[in-house]
Amino acid sequence: MTKRIAIIQFPGTNREDESIRAIAAAGLEPVLVRWNNTGDLASFDGYFLPGGWSYEDRIRSGVIAAKDPLMKIIKAAANKGKPVIGICNGAQILVEAGMIPGIENRVEMALAPNRTGFWCFWTHLHCSAPQGRSVFNKLIHPGEIMSVPIAHGEGRFVTKNPAVITSLRKNNQIIFQYCDARGIITDAFPTNPNGAILNIAGLCNPAGNVLAMMPHPEVASFKKQLPGFHGTFEQGEQLAPAHLIFQSLADFLRSKP
Amino acid sequence: MRVDDPLIPITDFSDEQLLQWMKQHGIVLKANEARRVVELIGRNPTITELHIFNIQWSEHSSYKSSRKILKQLPTSGSNVILGPKEDAGIVEFATLHGERYGIVVSHESHNHPSQVVPFEGAATGVGGNIRDVLCMGAKVLAIADPLRFGNPQGEQQHKVKYIANEVIKGIAGYGNPLGIPNLAGDAHFSDGYDGNCLVNVVTLGLVKEKDIIHSSAPPHADGYDIILIGKATDNSGFGGAAFASLVLDEKDKDANKGAVQVPDPFLKNVLLRATYAVFEEARKHNIVLGFKDLGAGGIMCSTSELCQSGGFGCTLDLDKVHVSMELPSFMIACSETQERFCWISPPSFTRTILKMYNETFALPDIAEQARASVIGKVTREKKYLITSHGNIVCNVPIDAVTSGISYDRERKKPSKHLVEPSLAEPQEYRSLLLHVLSHPNVCCKKSIYHRYDTHVLGLTIIPSGMADAGVMAPLHGEKPAVALSVDSNPFYNRISAYHGAMLAVAEAMRNVAAVGAVPACLTDCLCYGNPEVPEVFDDFCEGVRGIADAAKNLPRKGTTEPVPVISGNVSFYNDTKGKPIDPSPIIACVGILDDYSKAITLQLKHAGSKLFLIGKRKDEMGGSVYYQLHSKLGKQLPLLDFAVEKKQMDLVIDLINQRLVLSCHDISDGGLLSAVVEMMLGGDADGTLGVELLPPLSALPLSRVFFSETPGFVLEIPEQHAAQVYTMSAAAGVELIPLGKVIASPHLKVSGIFDVPLEELRSAWTTEVLS
Repeated sequence: MTKRIAIIQFPGTNREDESIRAIAAAGLEPVLVRWNNTGDLASFDGYFLPGGWSYEDRIRSGVIAAKDPLMKIIKAAANKGKPVIGICNGAQILVEAGMIPGIENRVEMALAPNRTGFWCFWTHLHCSAPQGRSVFNKLIHPGEIMSVPIAHGEGRFVTKNPAVITSLRKNNQIIFQYCDARGIITDAFPTNPNGAILNIAGLCNPAGNVLAMMPHPEVASFKKQLPGFHGTFEQGEQLAPAHLIFQSLADFLRSKP
Repeated sequence: MRVDDPLIPITDFSDEQLLQWMKQHGIVLKANEARRVVELIGRNPTITELHIFNIQWSEHSSYKSSRKILKQLPTSGSNVILGPKEDAGIVEFATLHGERYGIVVSHESHNHPSQVVPFEGAATGVGGNIRDVLCMGAKVLAIADPLRFGNPQGEQQHKVKYIANEVIKGIAGYGNPLGIPNLAGDAHFSDGYDGNCLVNVVTLGLVKEKDIIHSSAPPHADGYDIILIGKATDNSGFGGAAFASLVLDEKDKDANKGAVQVPDPFLKNVLLRATYAVFEEARKHNIVLGFKDLGAGGIMCSTSELCQSGGFGCTLDLDKVHVSMELPSFMIACSETQERFCWISPPSFTRTILKMYNETFALPDIAEQARASVIGKVTREKKYLITSHGNIVCNVPIDAVTSGISYDRERKKPSKHLVEPSLAEPQEYRSLLLHVLSHPNVCCKKSIYHRYDTHVLGLTIIPSGMADAGVMAPLHGEKPAVALSVDSNPFYNRISAYHGAMLAVAEAMRNVAAVGAVPACLTDCLCYGNPEVPEVFDDFCEGVRGIADAAKNLPRKGTTEPVPVISGNVSFYNDTKGKPIDPSPIIACVGILDDYSKAITLQLKHAGSKLFLIGKRKDEMGGSVYYQLHSKLGKQLPLLDFAVEKKQMDLVIDLINQRLVLSCHDISDGGLLSAVVEMMLGGDADGTLGVELLPPLSALPLSRVFFSETPGFVLEIPEQHAAQVYTMSAAAGVELIPLGKVIASPHLKVSGIFDVPLEELRSAWTTEVLS
């Protein structure tokens, strides 16, 4: 049976279409679930928190959505090992919900305002964790470099607790880091577009079933979406490297009974 | 026509008393116009009625100066699904699986609001234009933002930069949260806009022809419900239409701020999604509805136009309007509160609409008192009747409300003293090139468009800045794509309003051709000074004539039909310090590609490719950046030879569609060398390739060859395709001029004249204009 992924729509979410498309292209069944009509949310095989500005990002990005009752259901599902991915605003929600980095199951990091405001441009992501460290890099080799755009104003992963950083490194929770075209990780803008500590672009929880990332692989999923695409229509429709994130999810779910 | 409210004794007033009374009550009608209201309705009006005519007869709403002139524009054609009669025009896109799809386009400006309160003014400009496209039943695809600001290096530089930065934040602050990508745009800087910036927005949508919803009560709508949806009505933006129809006066600055609306993109985000859901329900049940956004004139304008255009009247009960504050009836009727729409629905479907907004998408939980409310009924009797607290406050023939007025404005040729400067040929060209590249009207604009979400929706193929036009494939899994570009050069228009407008049309079309798309339609936003000044009105008329002539003389590829103008607006009263702005006919061109994968960017692809020039260089430096650098305007504009222009454009489209071209850029601001350097650097200035240039053999001085802005294209052709490209060019009767080659070494080498490292070019071109 096709595995079902709940695409969560909060008021203010704006990345539903492309998230649905990316999930469907991985052979999974995307189902849009509205914030006030969550029905059988617990029965889904996985959860996708797309980008946008849930609840107008009042107070802080993602903080109100993190307290939405539906997050309790998602949290419980995550605790049972079901996969959860949050992209951009979705990542902010996972951080505010204490699910990422999830070391002590409380809010341990923040996604602070970028050093120089909102930016939307293509970045390079260095795949930093061992293959399969998380559900979402099951099919991605360490050291691979992918082109993925960002579109955010508050994407700077920070923490005031150095122990968190030590744990992230020790646990290999840093899945993606911003790098330059050659794969070199430097802090300078625009390589590190927001000033995130250790150039963090994506983090998983210790169990590896929850991923929060600021860049948008859902709009880097088909070759036609990549900068400077040059080829035939058939080539344009082929899947792009960043789609391996969703294929990894599908691969993980297929391996489950 | 009984009313219960007191009547304003216009007939008893002298002109002087009348004007004084109107001034006290914020009404800007002329005395004779107020008296015409009396004639038209057969009695003195109530305050609500007078406010209605004040808005309906403003220049902004009535096009009273421009309407007759605009008739020259070609607006029909075999590819036009809907011309400029409703909120947006619709042009044929493609027929797929038996369904004909249209691209919905709207193009408007929000100039005065952006000058007074730039963030909110620009944001509500985006919001209003998006509503125009949505209300045709379309999925909103993309926006573009042609911007005109003052001189960032001139006397007003601090204010200019403040306004520009806030406008950019406002556009980003609305489009980004809504999830509508920015696909195109441009920014020109000139001291002519120091006191009056121009903020245009173009919005694209996609709709199946059979799913179009008209801004009109459908047939047999007698007894249908009038449903107001969205934000609770407040006093924001009251008088916005009238405010747009007066010259800005610095001393009224604070009063004017109240006429600017307040944006709420969060509510709009949910409203957009709820409205898509209503479209789906209505289609499922074959319900025919009327739908219109609320813009200038608010409830009054929207309801009267919806009902009148369907041949009906209506009754409205203002007590049913959801408001967020106590307001006098005329304000409820005419306030321009944002984020509102109006549905005309059969009573059987009304519940579905109310439920969708009020419960399913829970508008009342999203924004205080936002909701859907039934506020009136469509009537067979063609009256426009409004009640408030049981009193009739307006009761006039609905045809009178929408009839409008028209003026024959006086025209007078402006006297201009144009001279062609005699500048000595420069000693060297290298530093001159660097100056041209760092000029505000040439340099890289990525610090503007990188503030906008260009990828949301996941349909973008070529985003803003990467080519002369943006490209999007709006149906995932399908080949057809739409291209969008915008253009207008204020300096050309300063020299000639007629030629400036023609050049804007030709360049907008050339921009679309440069990505391989076939120009399908145009839109125009005509921004000028005070039309009561005969010289300004003459510029306006000449501009419209220029657009019409260019559209007719550059017919749609493969047809003899003009490229139709399917949407647009007119913005008058744009003045800077008592002087009108330069004529600014801002043109957008929508192009269609049958296969998105054929589209190309402007960035060079491979070392070893050959470069060719199409469009022989001429001594046409009038309005050029080169002259701007020397503080000159000049006189000799690029003159369009339509036959040549058309052949060049069609050839470029054919070459690109046969996949013979790797990159292409049109020649405009800055001239030939700037175009070549931009191709080396690419839109994001991250290019690594160099160019070895052979200056084309020419009797012209090199300054002309390098910097004249004669229209043309630079093409990058792989060596193995060169012979075929020559053959096709010869067959098309277009001269192909060899220009050199792409090299791996990061330099611009102009043989025997100069050699500049790419890094120096990059650093000049990426000058930050607005910091």
